[in-house]
Amino acid sequence: MRTQKITLTAAYLFSLTLLFGSCKKYLDVVPNNALPTASAIIDAGTARAAIIGTYDGLQNYYSADYPTLGTITADNVIFNGTLSEYLQLDQNAIPTDNVITVSAYRKIYRMINSANSVIAGIPGVNDPLLTPEEKNKILGEAYFLRAIGYFDLGRGWGGVQIQLNPTVDLNALKGVKRSTLAQTYDQVLADLVKAEELLPADDANTRNRAQKSTARALRARLNLYRENWTEAEAYATQVINQPKFKLVDNYKTFFTSPFLSSESVLELSFSANDRNSFWNLWYPSSSGGQFTLKPSDSFVAKINNPAIGGSRKTLVAGSGTTVYGVLYNTAGVSVDPAYLIRIAELYLIRAEARANSGNLDGARADLNVIRNRAGVAPFTGGNKEQVLQAIADENSLEFAFEAHRWFDLARTKKTGEVLGVTNPNFWLFPIPYSDILSDPDVVQNPGY
Amino acid sequence: MKTKLLFIIWVLFALEVQAQDRAITGKVVDQTDQQPLPGVSIRVSGQKSGTLTNTDGSFSIRVSEAEKSLVFSYIGYLGKTVQLRDIGKLVTLEPDLQQLSEVVVTGYSTQERKFIAGSITTLKGEDLTATGGSGFNQLIQGKATGVQVSSNSGVPGGGITFRIRGNNSINASVEPLYVIDGVFVNSSNSIRAGLGNQTASNPLADINPEDIESLVILKDASATAIYGSMGANGVVLVTTKRGSLNTKAKINLSSYQGWSEAVNKFKSVSGAETAMLANEAVLNTGLDQKKDPASIVLPFADPSSQPTYDRVSGLFRTAKTSNYEVSAQGGSATSTYYTGIGYLKQESVVKPSDFERFTGRFNYDNRLTDKLKIGTSFNFTRTERALSGSDNNPTGVINSAIFPRSYLPIYKPDGTYARYGSFDNHIALIENLDNHAVGWRTIGNVFGEYTILPELKLRTSWSIDNNSVYENSYSNTLISAGIASNGSAASYETKNLVLTNEQVLTYIKSFGENKKHNINALVGNTIYSKLYETTSASGTGFATNSLRSIDNAAIRSGSSSRSQNKMVSFFGKASYTYDNKYTIDGSIRADASSKFGINKQWGYFPSGGLTWRAGEEKFIKDLNIFDELKFRGSIGLSGNQNGIDDYAALGLWSAGYNYLETAGTAPSQLANPDLTWETTRQIDLGTEFSILKKRLNVSFDYYNKYTYDLLLNVPVPYRSGFSSYLQNYGAVRNKGLELSISSVNVETKNFSWTTEFNVSKNDNKIEKLASDITLGASGRNISILREGYAVNSFQLYKQLYVDPKTGNAVYDDVNGDGLITSADRQIVGNALPKYTGGLNNTVKVKNFDLNVFFIFQQGNKIMNMNDFFLVHGGTQSNIGFLPRQLERWHYEGQQTDIPRMTTFSGDPTVNGGSANNYGGNVASLSSRYLEDGSFIRLKNVSLGYTIPTVTSARWGISRARIYVSGSNLLTFTKYKGLDPEVSSQSSNQNTAGYDWATVPQSRTIQVGVNVSL
Repeated sequence: MRTQKITLTAAYLFSLTLLFGSCKKYLDVVPNNALPTASAIIDAGTARAAIIGTYDGLQNYYSADYPTLGTITADNVIFNGTLSEYLQLDQNAIPTDNVITVSAYRKIYRMINSANSVIAGIPGVNDPLLTPEEKNKILGEAYFLRAIGYFDLGRGWGGVQIQLNPTVDLNALKGVKRSTLAQTYDQVLADLVKAEELLPADDANTRNRAQKSTARALRARLNLYRENWTEAEAYATQVINQPKFKLVDNYKTFFTSPFLSSESVLELSFSANDRNSFWNLWYPSSSGGQFTLKPSDSFVAKINNPAIGGSRKTLVAGSGTTVYGVLYNTAGVSVDPAYLIRIAELYLIRAEARANSGNLDGARADLNVIRNRAGVAPFTGGNKEQVLQAIADENSLEFAFEAHRWFDLARTKKTGEVLGVTNPNFWLFPIPYSDILSDPDVVQNPGY
Repeated sequence: MKTKLLFIIWVLFALEVQAQDRAITGKVVDQTDQQPLPGVSIRVSGQKSGTLTNTDGSFSIRVSEAEKSLVFSYIGYLGKTVQLRDIGKLVTLEPDLQQLSEVVVTGYSTQERKFIAGSITTLKGEDLTATGGSGFNQLIQGKATGVQVSSNSGVPGGGITFRIRGNNSINASVEPLYVIDGVFVNSSNSIRAGLGNQTASNPLADINPEDIESLVILKDASATAIYGSMGANGVVLVTTKRGSLNTKAKINLSSYQGWSEAVNKFKSVSGAETAMLANEAVLNTGLDQKKDPASIVLPFADPSSQPTYDRVSGLFRTAKTSNYEVSAQGGSATSTYYTGIGYLKQESVVKPSDFERFTGRFNYDNRLTDKLKIGTSFNFTRTERALSGSDNNPTGVINSAIFPRSYLPIYKPDGTYARYGSFDNHIALIENLDNHAVGWRTIGNVFGEYTILPELKLRTSWSIDNNSVYENSYSNTLISAGIASNGSAASYETKNLVLTNEQVLTYIKSFGENKKHNINALVGNTIYSKLYETTSASGTGFATNSLRSIDNAAIRSGSSSRSQNKMVSFFGKASYTYDNKYTIDGSIRADASSKFGINKQWGYFPSGGLTWRAGEEKFIKDLNIFDELKFRGSIGLSGNQNGIDDYAALGLWSAGYNYLETAGTAPSQLANPDLTWETTRQIDLGTEFSILKKRLNVSFDYYNKYTYDLLLNVPVPYRSGFSSYLQNYGAVRNKGLELSISSVNVETKNFSWTTEFNVSKNDNKIEKLASDITLGASGRNISILREGYAVNSFQLYKQLYVDPKTGNAVYDDVNGDGLITSADRQIVGNALPKYTGGLNNTVKVKNFDLNVFFIFQQGNKIMNMNDFFLVHGGTQSNIGFLPRQLERWHYEGQQTDIPRMTTFSGDPTVNGGSANNYGGNVASLSSRYLEDGSFIRLKNVSLGYTIPTVTSARWGISRARIYVSGSNLLTFTKYKGLDPEVSSQSSNQNTAGYDWATVPQSRTIQVGVNVSL
């Protein structure tokens, strides 16, 4: 009897030790909704998913954050809500932890890390299903996306820290200091050169993924920002001459479903399963929105003036104190695209480049293409300054609710004159507060 | 089973045959009070079987002629061998005082309180009187030292803050481990509807407090180390009611009804005052811009003509609470049972939230044989919550009522709901919100216990905690969430399944002369798994408001997810007591968790403790002061892994980054193969003593907890593509003092008065952190974690004064550069109370009983976000004003802390410039909105009357009590918001102490009756 008891105890203790052995297997759990980093880009399927994920990163900061930074900071859009992060932007008194600037900065680098992963990972994929052509396409897209990421960082925050490798180990980040704006733009250019080489030639319909023209369009804009007028004009011309792009007759068409109009050079599509609720910030609460972003009175006056706004008055709706912007208008279904590059911009880029190179007639011709489409009388006469001002004014109306106005004012140094922000320190956004705390290699923009 | 019974009957029969000689009859009574003792076991010495006494204590047994004595044994009494010749009609048994001394359930064992080296607080079920709270953990508030409990809002069934000896962690969980009848229960909120960053539920409100027999709170390392990796935040052991052997069925019926009102309601200035303030802001702004005063156009030509609408009353109601309970318990010679059902419905004082709970419990034990005992505890609960967002949610009910300006009507002239700015219409929300969460919870346990030797027992236990929450919401076209989408619906099912299996081998033995040596030892193992699964669906676009299920929607989408973690543990514990005076104990637990890096899965958590019952020493006894005097000390390690993702150590790319209806992936997490346990080292020194014939009992503890290798989301530069990296970095220290005193002031036959007082002090400090971590208030980063300061600190611009000459606010220029920039934000307080405690007085006069219970906390700050938003100086043209705005500076020489109204946005760096009054770099992040949250509260007063037994017996009732009670009757506080017991941003443990459009605590009057049959 007693031995039996001892045996029982011993058996229990023995089974405990046995358990030790089988622990390892028991403790092996694997997620069903994520991939280990090591197998993230290994075949055709994962390679395609990775570049899609990079586009998603672009969508992520262009759905609301970046257009907000380009609009409420300037004169066409004012703050009307309750959230102080928008008030700060409207007042151009941006604390270093302003939610929108931090969010945009973080999301851009997140996309860049995705692009870096694709650039590093694709050459190593050996899958017969992934043809060399498709590899080039994916790589070209990744270079393009990285280029636009650094371009958007450069024009918002100035020269930034340049990361060209995927982050797998935080130690690899050490020692990377901020570059100058010229260095950042050089990096953009280098990526655009590669992108243009690798991207597929334009087909007739693709407007929501990068092709050669998309890279050229961005290169035109980059050159405009860098005031390389000849190249800006040359690249703008290449895109304008591409037959797939054509101004829509009715201004309203490009922001009306089904979208992807002939005007779009790059437009990020959303869908019922991949929503963009940016409209919510523009619509009044009686229509289910928050009405945080509101067209300014002066803008409403201009856009409703047939001699200035023309058919672009369709950008606003409502009356009295409840005039609201309707560029993003799919209330409820939330499928408004993000408009990154429209062919209209290329005309105005070329106009500005031509005006600066002294070709005022050419400039007026391009400007009037846009005015004509809006149903506004052509601009005639004027000296260089006046033509440039006319182009700037046209830009302001044509891209009123897209990510343009603030950046145009900043690059042409008109921010003080137009907005009263005379201190050039505040023409750049602050580096996020948490980065100042966590990154010994970063230096804050002066004035913050 | 059947064969066993037959065997037992056969044995009895055989005995009968062998020794059928003479019958002995008698009666067994308690020696002290001469009451009959039912169920006393009687057997012939040397033999196994015998008989039991009847309910009246009488017995009859047949013994052979040769037998000389009988053995009497009974739980709680000293055994007795009586010579047959000495058996008169009465056999008396003496209570075993040693056994009757308080026995406490501790980790995996029961121990006598006097020998325990750990710091433990015990509460009885009846201490958890219903004071308006629905969760038992909420009812501990003010009753136990070292435990800070507060409700985050006045929403019934809503989240609470429960900390044992402070916040040990930053990113891992700070919740204690709850063990209910041996089952590890999930205590994390499962409701997914976003309600404005408030924790939507207290998952422990699923347990009916009426079912609880006792509750033990394990605080120090000696007590918690046996729970290893789960014990660092303390452990709450709950034992539910069970029947006793050989007791007659007892049926309890009880019910109470309560009515609650808000003590304070939101206030706003009148329409005329709003207009006057708005005009003043425009005028001042114009002056700041150096405009000609004559050219400034004021928004309101005639402020006094503005109407005032009552935008607040419609929010509140007299909230009703109803509770009904029925239970039965009892036992036969071999089995015991407790079963009960309960129903509770509680309304919130702010419409439309409420909480409803049905509970059922069944506890059963059976001694199958002398050696084998089996038992089960099962709890079934259904809860239903009507959810409503508030707090940080502009379209929440409270926000929609109080934020729009008071001159704005609630209805449009055509009678439809009017909405303003970002806000919804609160009446529309109250009338149309349809958001319900139904929880189903089963907590169950089956165990078997085999007595191998009298001193050696093996117990195996199999447990389940299955918790599912099914949420359905529908926003119709009358509320802003449904306007644009033509109705929108969402449905979530969230399932948490915790399975635990444990084996424990226990050895308890006393030996030596006078049983001087006592050993209590155990070894065991645990296998644990937790599975979390969710499914959600949503739809928008409905034909009409009466069609509201998702399959009626025009656009539908869905998703699901799953995640799992597992743990394997081995543990052992031993304590040795010598001569009732000295106890030494030690324990160790080894845990391996699937969450950690493959290299560092195992963690080892040892502890040791010493107890010296000095009161047993002769030289202390000779002092004749102490009835009991005990010193104890312990040190040990415990761990924490809760609150981090199940796959936290892996480098991952996540899916769902889709574009163009194509699946995409993106890097989501950096790998950390070295991720391992967060460890807490705790030292505890304590003493307990009783004097004045045990009338005054005092317990005092000092502890020092150092938590290192924190599981910390270390912020990393955004250029990495990530925001943070989970690593073992950093340290937090909590040290404190705990004092509890209980006293029997008067005790006579008809009058007794007892007092219990407890106070706890905790100092929290972050000892090591990679860099500051800022968070909170929707990106305003008002909360900060910084080395050298407590967690839950607030960082703001410290307002020194409002210049009486200019009316502009002047802030502390921390770096002395003459400018106000983000470098001048500083820590100006924190949300953690320094002292918490309670004072409880119970007076009994004849059949009346009166209980008066105070709670208090001191030293915490509250960030008053209502003031932050509604004392905005005119910067928010869509938002009204709180009365505090009227205190703004408006004439030269005025002394006030509310600066001059203006929306001027000049140079934001000028200190004392008007840009920083409400905007600028300060952006209203001023310390003027941070207030002292200390309070003393008369938490509960109850007056009861027990109907005299003579009367009640006539009605066939053994006991009946009626009572009336009041909760939150008085609150003494300097806090100017509605109620100081608040934490609106509680879904993140590091953003405590905000008051933000939150349902306040209510004042409740309750009447109730308890009847036992």
